[in-house]
Amino acid sequence: MEKQLATEILRLRLSQMLINEHYKSGDFKIPVHIALGHETIAVAIDSIMEETDSLICSHRNMHYNLARAKKLRPILLEFLLKDGGLAGSTLGSMNLANEAANIPYTSSILGNNLPVSAGVALSHLVKGDDGVTFVVTGDGAMEEGTFYEVLGIARANDLPLAIIVENNGWSMHTQIDERRSSIDVSGLCAALGVSYEHLSGNDVSKYIEILSKVRKGLKKGEPCVVEVSVSTLGGWYVGEGEDKRFIHPHAGVLPEVSFSSWPILEESVADPVYVLTKQFSEVELKEKAESIATQIQEEVKNI
Amino acid sequence: MRYIEYVNQLIGEATAKTENLVLFGQNIAAGSHLSGLTKGLSVGKGGKIINTTNSETSQTGMGFGLMLQGVPSIFFVKQLDFLLLGVDHLLNTYNFIRQQKPKTSFTIVPIMSDLGYHGVQSSFNNLGDICSLARVPGFSITNSFDAKAIISNHLVAPGFRIITVGQRLFGTEILEVEAEKSAGDQSLFQYSTGEAVTIVCFNLSFPYGVELQKCLEDRGLSSSLFSVNGYTSLDWKLITEDVQKTKKLVIIDDSKSANVSADNLLVEVLSTSPQVLVTKVRHDLPFNGTWLSPNPDTLDIDYEALADKLATGV
Repeated sequence: MEKQLATEILRLRLSQMLINEHYKSGDFKIPVHIALGHETIAVAIDSIMEETDSLICSHRNMHYNLARAKKLRPILLEFLLKDGGLAGSTLGSMNLANEAANIPYTSSILGNNLPVSAGVALSHLVKGDDGVTFVVTGDGAMEEGTFYEVLGIARANDLPLAIIVENNGWSMHTQIDERRSSIDVSGLCAALGVSYEHLSGNDVSKYIEILSKVRKGLKKGEPCVVEVSVSTLGGWYVGEGEDKRFIHPHAGVLPEVSFSSWPILEESVADPVYVLTKQFSEVELKEKAESIATQIQEEVKNI
Repeated sequence: MRYIEYVNQLIGEATAKTENLVLFGQNIAAGSHLSGLTKGLSVGKGGKIINTTNSETSQTGMGFGLMLQGVPSIFFVKQLDFLLLGVDHLLNTYNFIRQQKPKTSFTIVPIMSDLGYHGVQSSFNNLGDICSLARVPGFSITNSFDAKAIISNHLVAPGFRIITVGQRLFGTEILEVEAEKSAGDQSLFQYSTGEAVTIVCFNLSFPYGVELQKCLEDRGLSSSLFSVNGYTSLDWKLITEDVQKTKKLVIIDDSKSANVSADNLLVEVLSTSPQVLVTKVRHDLPFNGTWLSPNPDTLDIDYEALADKLATGV
């Protein structure tokens, strides 16, 4: 793995942890969806995107915006609705787009961004600019009818469109088995003639390898669904004994997560930062993380 | 020339010269071509014509996606009520995109389901119901003059709007008229200036207004005739000034919804000229829903009686 990729994963993790500290301080008037645990797919998508490619995001978009903007300050200012915000403090968090970084649209509405992404993908064909489109959705949003509709539209028109399904197993505070039967996404895609890939394990190099292959297929008119297994980290337990229950970190402050220059949250492959320890020494990672932590704290100083 | 042929011709002239234009919708390049609305249409260099799947929600969003990327498009919809499936985008996506001040065009052209005998969906025949959700610019086409003005100024112009055509008018001869004045955004037209009565037609009611005006002329009464073709951000100045002179206002509105622009006009008129005699011609729609069964769907107007009433001032 390239060191730069590891650096990016650490930067996204530490930046989100710093944003959470502002949340704890009550600095935000708007709801913010933190995406701890989602760093690998964001870094991988950012790595393979070319100059004319487009990325369409959903309400949980912080990781992609951090990856594409390459800095924290304008994003934090946007969340604080202050001058200098990434979108002039007009979009806040759930709709945060960044046209300059090829994110022309982000939607707060479940399933809404999929049809818009079909239009964006079609625009690349009309303009003949060689661009492809990535749209991010989740295991909850894919229950909306637009998911099925857009698969049909993408196939019928050979759209260069990849639908990234971040499957974290939750829709707000309801787990998949509490709301529906399981969906065989690969089978659904096969029925509609759409390609399918599955990513898991948070190995960013592997993700990049598969996504590069997907991108080549998009260029040949082969739309694709990429289902990514992710764990949204930072959850916590409340109650005692039989009343004890897990709180999934859907939106809002993460009370048990603290900014730390050694930002591993879970010692398993569910945590992209933990996965880095398989390829880099702890000493090297700690040194890098401390450097990034200092750098981003300096970046947002005096906000 | 029939209404639908005239509208189709104007649309065709605009689309043929627009580069990179995408026309899309169900059956637009097959079968009857939406009863002739999209028959023979072509697009300029680089454009596409796409016969789509049955997926109105996604088609609406797709048009906004094209718009975001600077590609103009027109989405043709067989029936206005099909567009109900696109409401998420008409509200949420449009409210995002309008802030980006798009430099290209996205237009939706739905056909108003006002042919009659269409059953339950016929209660929805007012484009204003959809437009008011996010103050979307909307226009109806009722005659030769407004068709030319609205299509030439809006169909492929930067921005988003909805332009509707009335299916009950498709087979009728296009009303050849000339307007004396119009609002700057083609939302309102004045076709004549009279002394005795001000007639204001809403939605697709203009043909009714023309008939009433003829009956008044037979009685020696001159009337001012207006058509309100827009649905949001309306400027009533032309009408209120006219009503102050005639003191008699006839509102003809064939729409069936409870939220109508005509009521806004009434507030404006009566707050400044309370002595004005107002006559409303609208559907009688009892809450028990008996009017939802298949029915003729047209306004049943006794023009002679109405003209007599206006002539005597009773």
